[in-house]
Amino acid sequence: MLELLTSPTVAVTFESFTDIDFWTGVGILAGVYTIFALGLQLNVGFTGIQNFGQAAFMAIGAYAMAILVVDHGLSFWLSLPIAVLITIAFGLIVGLPSLRLRADYFAIATIAAAEAVRLFALNARELTGGAQGTFGFGDDWDSVSETIEGWIQDIGWTDVPTLFPLFLVTWAIALLLMLALSRVQETPWGRVLRAIREDEDAARALGKNVFSYKLQSLAIAATLGAIAGFLYALNLRFVVPDEFLPIVTFIGYAVLVLGGLATYWGVAVGSIILFTLLEGLRFLDLPLSETRISALRFIIVGLVLILLMAFRPQGMFGKREEMVLGD
Amino acid sequence: MEAGTLTAGEAPTLAERIREEAGRHPARTALAVLALIVLVMIASKGLHDVAQRGLNGLSLGAIYALGAVGLTLVYGILKLVNFAHGDFLTFGAYMAYLVNVTWGLPLVVAVFWAMVTTAVLGIFLEKVMWGPMRAKGAGMLQLLLMAIGLALVIRYVIQFIWSTELRQLDVNRTDTVEFLGLTIGRTNLIVIIVGFVVLIGTGMMLRYTLLGKRMRALSDNLDLAETSGIDTSRVIVWTWVFAAGFAGLAGVLAGAITQVQPELGFELLLPIFAAVVMGGIGNAYGALAGGIVLGLVIEWSTLFIDARWKTAIGFVVLILVLIVRPQGIFGKAKAV
Amino acid sequence: MTEDASIRPPATRASTNGSIFRADGVVKRFGGIRAVDGAAMQVREGSITALIGPNGAGKTTFFNVITGFYRPDGGSATFGGDQVLGEPPYAIARRGMVRTFQITKALAAMPVIDNMMLGAPDQPGERLANVLLRPGSWRQREQEVREQAMQLLDVFNLTRLADDYAGTLSGGQRKLLELARALMARPRFLLLDEPMAGINPTLGRRLLEHMERLRSTEGVTFLFIEHDMEVVMNHSDRVIVMAEGRVIADGEPHEVRQDQAVIDAYLGGSTGTNGAGSPSLPPPEEAR
Repeated sequence: MLELLTSPTVAVTFESFTDIDFWTGVGILAGVYTIFALGLQLNVGFTGIQNFGQAAFMAIGAYAMAILVVDHGLSFWLSLPIAVLITIAFGLIVGLPSLRLRADYFAIATIAAAEAVRLFALNARELTGGAQGTFGFGDDWDSVSETIEGWIQDIGWTDVPTLFPLFLVTWAIALLLMLALSRVQETPWGRVLRAIREDEDAARALGKNVFSYKLQSLAIAATLGAIAGFLYALNLRFVVPDEFLPIVTFIGYAVLVLGGLATYWGVAVGSIILFTLLEGLRFLDLPLSETRISALRFIIVGLVLILLMAFRPQGMFGKREEMVLGD
Repeated sequence: MEAGTLTAGEAPTLAERIREEAGRHPARTALAVLALIVLVMIASKGLHDVAQRGLNGLSLGAIYALGAVGLTLVYGILKLVNFAHGDFLTFGAYMAYLVNVTWGLPLVVAVFWAMVTTAVLGIFLEKVMWGPMRAKGAGMLQLLLMAIGLALVIRYVIQFIWSTELRQLDVNRTDTVEFLGLTIGRTNLIVIIVGFVVLIGTGMMLRYTLLGKRMRALSDNLDLAETSGIDTSRVIVWTWVFAAGFAGLAGVLAGAITQVQPELGFELLLPIFAAVVMGGIGNAYGALAGGIVLGLVIEWSTLFIDARWKTAIGFVVLILVLIVRPQGIFGKAKAV
Repeated sequence: MTEDASIRPPATRASTNGSIFRADGVVKRFGGIRAVDGAAMQVREGSITALIGPNGAGKTTFFNVITGFYRPDGGSATFGGDQVLGEPPYAIARRGMVRTFQITKALAAMPVIDNMMLGAPDQPGERLANVLLRPGSWRQREQEVREQAMQLLDVFNLTRLADDYAGTLSGGQRKLLELARALMARPRFLLLDEPMAGINPTLGRRLLEHMERLRSTEGVTFLFIEHDMEVVMNHSDRVIVMAEGRVIADGEPHEVRQDQAVIDAYLGGSTGTNGAGSPSLPPPEEAR
């Protein structure tokens, strides 16, 4: 996630502003973060659990896939469902002891779990490649990507950016997931989740096994995190621990609160706006060095969080009553 | 605590009795367990090694304790664990760097400057952000995200100004001091001395002064304190003075024995959380003890496992405490 | 992921002597304080039983323990002959032993109708597996539940508020909503924590009428905590008195009123003038 935010600036000219390669990359990031934040929306916006370990799910999904493909010769396509299951298993292991904690302790516990994952990945060199990471898992995807590229060229657009097929697939998956989640949210199951968000004890008094529902919510978030991890790994071409720092989850939350804790579709809008803002910085022709621009981007993320929470906690699409009522 | 199974006349087993006693006197139990572990370590690795690492652990522990005391005091005001606290440490470290290296003044001046400026930062944020949000009745998620946003802003403004370059304070890194057959870096020793003097002073202040008592009352239960007639706004300001000031000091000490870099505070934040949770949130003495114990545990762990896993120990402790006894050693058994 | 045992409430068994609920030696400690100190009671099936006692007697704590919201420190409790003490709250609710709360827990940011529909049991759509794999399996039940919800809202005169957020209702309406919601599960045993508190007398009378009707037409048992002595004396079949964590009296209202232990508990043991120290207990000479 950080790669694009910290990589060297493309030459700042009007041409680069319309540089389709560049914006394709941004679009992929926005799409990956959308999927990432959909999990947060389910957890925070609809179940009321403050999951701050989403980056861990991304990491485990990405690493599991990469290790299965590179070290064990599994087909990329087969590795995906297995990696999802591994991620869900991790989610359950973390959730079982920690979901009964109160909200801010649960947040701490999940951050701790995420950092533990990252540090493990950093230090378990034989398994994960340590700081250098793992790479070389993209061959199966590359053939698919080339096929898609071929289709697009057949339609008439000859100068397709290499990453464009990934962009399309990422957003197709994001849209499908938003659709699926919205549907599921409208079911009685979704209603129970909202009740849990409102008042756990009331839900228990109505015969609902709150703990079980929270675990389910976390497991789904783990799945979404893992999917985001796969797409991100395909974009970056390698998986390294530094890509899964806590800031990743914090950016996810910025996306979440920008759209509002209200709809799944809002997550996409929040993501697109935030990344356009963050990446659009490049084109302001600021007389600043690279690390400075990178720092500025994170300052903006922080300000987005502070200002939104202070002045418009419901975000763009949330309803004020739903935020303030019953807190 | 199984119900429906305890009937009159059934004597509790030894295991149940031990558990109940342990539950009633958690501090004593913890101390006993710790003493036991220390004895086992001395038996297996020898007194010298245990004492040597223990000494290193004390300097680390002093830093954790200073950070943890502030964090726990502030908990009562914010009613949540302040994610931005780590970056107060970073801020303090850089303020010291400014005075000590950039302006070339003695370290003592730098320490005072760091504590004062961090305290001012804390008060400023209370007036501008936390106070108004409390008045608005902001919910926990709102405050949590604001704290995170604040942490990012502080950290990356620092990075904006000073970049990610590793910097050193102007301290003596090579001289060592020897006593009782143990060696310790001069700076480390100073950290221990300064840290413990401040901590002991704080402990006394909290226990014996009126302000201290009020701060403890506040950190335990703000609403209750407000209804009992304490002028909470003044106590709140003083709490931030101490909490932020100590954080700044902890940052300087940390910067003195490692390096000054923008992630300094955040890297210390999780162990500081562990110390706070271990001691029982809102309990200043608990945070103090928790910090020192954690520092010792982390350094002693190097006797048994590879040093590169040192940072993981902080997490393990945190996760263990959250699972086994989330209210901490000194906390009451509320539903956490 | 959970066991789908929608446990049907048990039929009355002769061996339970017509008691639908028994508690024995229930204990709950907070630190060094025994908030409930060996409470024992029986509740007759189909009765309206009041649970009274001075503030701090442990009534709400007792409720919380027997409905699973607090972990017990000792004792036993049976519902319809089955051990329930120590079970999680959702399991107890599913058995048909349902409680309401002193401070209403209407789900404020959800519409009234959603509140109601949550109360219904046996909705396959509440299980994730059904939602993901068998999308059609729950629509019919949803329709049934919605109809049942609208009927109940009608009984309580809340129909026009069905689509409003529960948070916008008045205090009294929220109390009615909580009761209506509890009824969605067709409970056998309803535990109401101060149902009359904070609502006007007309509404209160209506609530009592509902309770009495439910008792006579459907045999629902009620145990309610209450401070309003008029309600207790005139509308309950039996009165149980708690003080200092224990049950000190248990009988018909007029018996209990004259019980010396009860009078002492309310007056704090002082030999005061008739009822002067206790605004809630009517003086003994008041004839019925």
